[in-house]
Amino acid sequence: MAEGQETQEKKSSVVDVSGFIDSPLGVHNLQSAVPTITCQDECLMGIDEAGRGPVLGPMVYGISYCPITKTKDLEKLKFADSKVLSVSQREDLYHTITECNEWLGWKACILSPNYLSNCMLRRSKYNLNSISHDTAIDLIRKVLSDGVKLTEVYVDTVGKPESYQSKLESIFPQLKVTVTKKADSLFPIVSAASICAKVIRDACLTEWKFTEGDDCYSKSFGCGYTSDTTTINWMKDCIDPVFGFPTLVRFSWSTASKMLESNGLLVKWPDDDEDEEQKANCPKISLFFGKAKTNGDGPKPAKRHRYFEERKLEAVDHFI
Amino acid sequence: MFEARLIQGSVLKKMIDAIKDIVTDINLDCSSTGISVQAMDSGHVCLVLIELGSDGFEPYRCDRNITLGLGLKALSVVVRCANNDDSITIKAQEGTDNINFVFESPNGEKTSQFEIKLMDIDSEHLGIPDTEYDSVVKMPSHEFQRICRDMSQLGDSIVVACTKDGIQFSASGDMGSGKINLRQSSLVDKEEDQINIELNDPVHLTFALRYLNYFTKATPLSPTVTLSLKAESPLCVTYPIGDFGSMKFFLAPKIDDEDTAAATQE
Repeated sequence: MAEGQETQEKKSSVVDVSGFIDSPLGVHNLQSAVPTITCQDECLMGIDEAGRGPVLGPMVYGISYCPITKTKDLEKLKFADSKVLSVSQREDLYHTITECNEWLGWKACILSPNYLSNCMLRRSKYNLNSISHDTAIDLIRKVLSDGVKLTEVYVDTVGKPESYQSKLESIFPQLKVTVTKKADSLFPIVSAASICAKVIRDACLTEWKFTEGDDCYSKSFGCGYTSDTTTINWMKDCIDPVFGFPTLVRFSWSTASKMLESNGLLVKWPDDDEDEEQKANCPKISLFFGKAKTNGDGPKPAKRHRYFEERKLEAVDHFI
Repeated sequence: MFEARLIQGSVLKKMIDAIKDIVTDINLDCSSTGISVQAMDSGHVCLVLIELGSDGFEPYRCDRNITLGLGLKALSVVVRCANNDDSITIKAQEGTDNINFVFESPNGEKTSQFEIKLMDIDSEHLGIPDTEYDSVVKMPSHEFQRICRDMSQLGDSIVVACTKDGIQFSASGDMGSGKINLRQSSLVDKEEDQINIELNDPVHLTFALRYLNYFTKATPLSPTVTLSLKAESPLCVTYPIGDFGSMKFFLAPKIDDEDTAAATQE
């Protein structure tokens, strides 16, 4: 939960995320060049994500890969779980990763808050676990199509490790897949992936430009976790009764939707009632019964003859 | 001048209880032959038709056809003030915006008077055609109520199938499924406990239980209920009211595929 308390530090980020910042919608990919050696020697790869829990900002998936023969070198770099490192330590390690570009490659996938909200709120729900799994699978595919001789994959789990592992094994039978909890502290290659992901997510938050207009909102939104009062207060400040939050916020988070319910305006959809009937597949009774003649033999009182109306003659019950 | 006195005021109470969950406002269409009410639920999925002949009232006077629009909420509040054995007199003067209710205890010692403001209710009247039904089933009303209640535990809709062997109600859902078969019975002593099936053609129709459960709120009105069924046509559930009237509920069958949906459009 120590994530990104320091993200507000104003300084230029170590990683260039301007491509994402300019259009912070959908999915954005970043990557290093593919080291030549990784296409020749058998490689291992680590996968981790950053920013899964927070209500603000993108979720970033990171992967890193290197030849198995370089495992010793990798250990020497002293990677650790990105969460236990300070911002500057992480950035230093990120530099180390980029310096090792001869044999260490990485990729990252930035999933914008808008993309996450859209997936999770669309008619056929696409939950966060499935999004995570699919993103990881996609990244593995990309690495394979780059020609990297991948043989081993280490993954920090999302959901149950067993089912995730069997899912990955069935898709990539040629790979030795290891899915565990806390993989980022167990395997240096996963730590490297987690550092990439985390540094990129931090950069996205620091560099974030509000597409709604940069002057509309303050950038002191805290770490993005709902346990952070700065984040909650920032959300309360920027809520618009009609439009809700800026796109930095994941609308699909219950914190966001609850806040909208209590602070936003209620929208009444006149079709909702009808939808319910349609769902029940109940046709209207008027499809079967035609309209009655308005002044026919029905129970409706017949119109009086023009003679009486023109002369303003009315029936009375009592005579004065 | 309109005036109608119902000796058994409890009948009016039961009628209002039966429809107050379906409709919010009703028009009492009063003519010299009696009172009729036609109303639909907000989604226009079902239709209620109440017909009360003038011979059920003593006295009954209706000089001119008159339509009295009433909010059911107010009506229900007022009618609840009547004792079950009270007689209820409904009075409305020509040209006023009020309707009067007078409750009299059987021994004449207590009378209560209530006045409700009339409403202008815009309602479209549907012409209900005289239908030759394929199957007409008369059964104890509490039995029908029980079936609908039990089946609604299983699913949202009920399949009603009438054959020469009897009538079958079935429902299914995530939990499981259930079937209830009723055979024609003539050996029962009491006529109201009999199940009587008039069959011209076998029918097989599906209905939304939600509405049937509304309809069975009319069970206290009558010991028997009649289900009139015809393929691709609305079901008619009839609760007779004494020998002078009836409360009818119409509900369109559920449509499974689009072909039948198109076929039922006029």
